[in-house]
Amino acid sequence: MKKIRIIISLCFFLISLPVHGLTQELPSNQECRHCHSNPNLKKVLPDGKVISEYVDFDLFYKSVHKKQACVYCHIDATNFPCKNLQKVNCQRCHYKGNLAGAPDLIKYKEYGESVHGRATALGDVKAPMCQDCHGSHYIFDKADTLSRTNKEHIPQTCGACHLNIYDIYRISVHGEALRKKHILAAPSCADCHGEHNIKEHTDPKSKVFLTQVSVTCAKCHANMELIKKYDIPVEPVETYRESFHGVAIKFGAKTVANCSSCHEVHAIFKSDDPRSSIYVDNIPKTCGKCHPGASENFAKGKIHINPAKKEAGIIYYVSQFFKYLTLSVMFALIIYIILDLRKKIKVRRTGEE
Amino acid sequence: MFFSKKKKELEPKVSLDKLQGEIEQEIWDDLTKDLSLTPHLKEEIKKLVKERAREELQKELKDRYAELREEKVEIPPPEEKKKEEVMYPRLSLDVRIQHIILMVSTIILIITGLPIKFHELAWAKFFFSAIGGLQVSRILHRVGAAGLIGIALYHLLFLAFSKEGREIFKELLPRKKDLKDLWIMLNYFIGRKRERAKFGKFTYVEKFDYWAVYWGMVVMVLSGLILWFLGTALKIFPKFIADIAKEAHSDEATLATLAIIIWHFYNAHLNPEKFPMNWSWLNGKISEEDMKKEHFLEWVKIREEEEKEIETKKAEEGKFKEQRGENIL
Repeated sequence: MKKIRIIISLCFFLISLPVHGLTQELPSNQECRHCHSNPNLKKVLPDGKVISEYVDFDLFYKSVHKKQACVYCHIDATNFPCKNLQKVNCQRCHYKGNLAGAPDLIKYKEYGESVHGRATALGDVKAPMCQDCHGSHYIFDKADTLSRTNKEHIPQTCGACHLNIYDIYRISVHGEALRKKHILAAPSCADCHGEHNIKEHTDPKSKVFLTQVSVTCAKCHANMELIKKYDIPVEPVETYRESFHGVAIKFGAKTVANCSSCHEVHAIFKSDDPRSSIYVDNIPKTCGKCHPGASENFAKGKIHINPAKKEAGIIYYVSQFFKYLTLSVMFALIIYIILDLRKKIKVRRTGEE
Repeated sequence: MFFSKKKKELEPKVSLDKLQGEIEQEIWDDLTKDLSLTPHLKEEIKKLVKERAREELQKELKDRYAELREEKVEIPPPEEKKKEEVMYPRLSLDVRIQHIILMVSTIILIITGLPIKFHELAWAKFFFSAIGGLQVSRILHRVGAAGLIGIALYHLLFLAFSKEGREIFKELLPRKKDLKDLWIMLNYFIGRKRERAKFGKFTYVEKFDYWAVYWGMVVMVLSGLILWFLGTALKIFPKFIADIAKEAHSDEATLATLAIIIWHFYNAHLNPEKFPMNWSWLNGKISEEDMKKEHFLEWVKIREEEEKEIETKKAEEGKFKEQRGENIL
C-alpha cells in the first residue's frame, strides 16, 4: 500500500511541476504593470508601424483571464526588457483535458478548415488567429457587452480587417437594425458567414455558397416568429423556392439568381430605399445583370408571388380560374366514365342493351 | 378405378354392367373354345377375364368420352366471318402522322415539365439526376415545344388549305346535336332509354377531345413562348404578363395531363371495348361493327353513297351498252 501511495503522490507532483515549479521564478503581474500601465508605451515595428504596448490593467482584471499571470501567456517574457515576444498561443491552455481549468470548447478543427485557418497555416501573417477576433488582454464572455465577440461588436471586430465590407454593412438594413436599433435578431457577420468555420463563398460547404444562400437567409426570413415581430415581408423564401430561380438552383443550375443576386450581398436595403438594388428605378439594372437589356417592364409587377394568396393580384385570379376549371372538368369526366362503365358491366352481365 | 366409378355416375349403371358382362362373355368364349378345364383353374381364369374385361371397358369409355369432348370443342362457329369483316377508312395518313407528332412532343413536354412544377417530390430529383440535370431537361422541353408548335401551325394550314382538312373541320364544329346526343347517352347510361344516340362522323367525345387540345394548345404555346423568349417578351409586356403566363402554363399543363391520363386513356385504351387500344390511330381504319355502333349516321351516309355509285355505274354501263347496241345496229 505504501508503495502505491508514494507512486500516486509522485505522479501528482510530476504533473503539477510545469505549472507551479516553473512559475516561481517568473516576474509577477506587478512587475509587468510597472512599464505597461504607461499609456504612452509604444513600439516601432521594422516596417515603421507604431503599436501601443499599453495594457489597461483595470479592464484586464475584469476579463475572463483576470486570475492569470501575464507570463502564463507571454511565456517568453522572462527577462527584462522583454523584447521580440512571440505571438501568444492559446492552445497552451485551451486544449481538451487541460489541467488549468481553461474552457476546452475548442474550435481549432473548424478554424483550421476555415479560410482564416488555412491562410494562417500557409504563413499569411495578416490572417487572423484567435486573439485577433477574441481580443488579447480584454477577453470577455460573449454575452458581455465589452466582448469583441458580443453580437453587437462582431461587425467592428470583423471590420478591423474587412473595412470595405464593414463600411457597406454599417448602413445596410441589417447593420442599422443591429447597431442603431439594437435588435439582436438582426444578423451580424457571423450569422451569415459562420464563426470559426468561415469559408470562401466559392466553397460548396460555405454558408454563403450560391446554393446555400437561400438556406442561410431562410433562417430568419422564413422564421414566422421573426417575420411577425419585425414585420418582415411575407414569405419571400417560400415563393423564391417555388419560382423558377429557386427550382433551377435546387437542381444544380449555377447561373441562376439566389437571394443576394437581387438583394445584394452586404448592401441590403428596404425596397423603398433609393439605395436599394430592388428599388423600382434600380430593378432594370439589377435584373439586367443576368437578363441583358432588361427594361423598366421588369419592375411592373410583384416579384415574390404566392398565387394562392390574394396579394398576388391578377395571378391569384388566374390560378383560381384554372383550379376550378380543372376540378369541375375532372369531376364531370370521371362521373361520365363511371356511368359509362356501369352501363357496360350491366350489358355484359344481362346480355341486353 | 376412379375413372370408371365416375363414368358410372354419369351413365346408367345397368347398361355399364351389361357392357362389362358382354365383354367378359366374349373373352371367355374366345379363351375356352377348345379347352377342358378343372373347376379350380376355371375360377382363376374367370378372375383374370373379369379384370381384362374391366380394362377393355375403361379404354372404350375413355375413347367415347374423348370423342364427346372433341365434338363439344368443335361446336363454336367457324371464324371465317370475322376475317371478312368490312373495314372503313377512319383517319388519313396525314392525320395519323399529325397525331403521332403531337403525341410524342406532348409526352416529352409532360415528362420534362412536370418535375419543375412538382420539384419538392422525390421523383423530380430522381428524374433530373437520371436525365443529366435541369439544363438537359430544359433543352428537351424546347425540342418538344418546337414539335408541338410546328404541328400546331401545320394543322392550321391543313385546316385552311386541304380539302380533307376543311371537311374534317366542318364535321368537328360543335352543334346542338352534340348536347342532345349527350343527353340521350346519359339517359341510356342510367337506363331511362334503351337506344344509344346515333352519331355522325365525330361523337361529342371526340369533339370535346379535339377542342380541349385546341384550347390547351393556344394557352400552352402562347404562355410557353413568353417564358421561352422572356427577354424579348419583357421588352413588350410588363412583368405581370410573364407571371400570368407562368401560372397559366403550369396550371394548364396539369389540366392537360389529367385530361390525357383520365379521359383520353379511358376512351382510347382502358375502355373495355377498346382495350388495349383503339387501333385506328395506327391503321387508320374502323370495323363495320364499330362504325354502326358509334358512327351510325356516317355509316348510313357511306352506304348510301356506295349504292348511288353502284347505281350510277350500272346506269353508265347500261348507257354504254345502249350506245354500243345503237352503234352495232
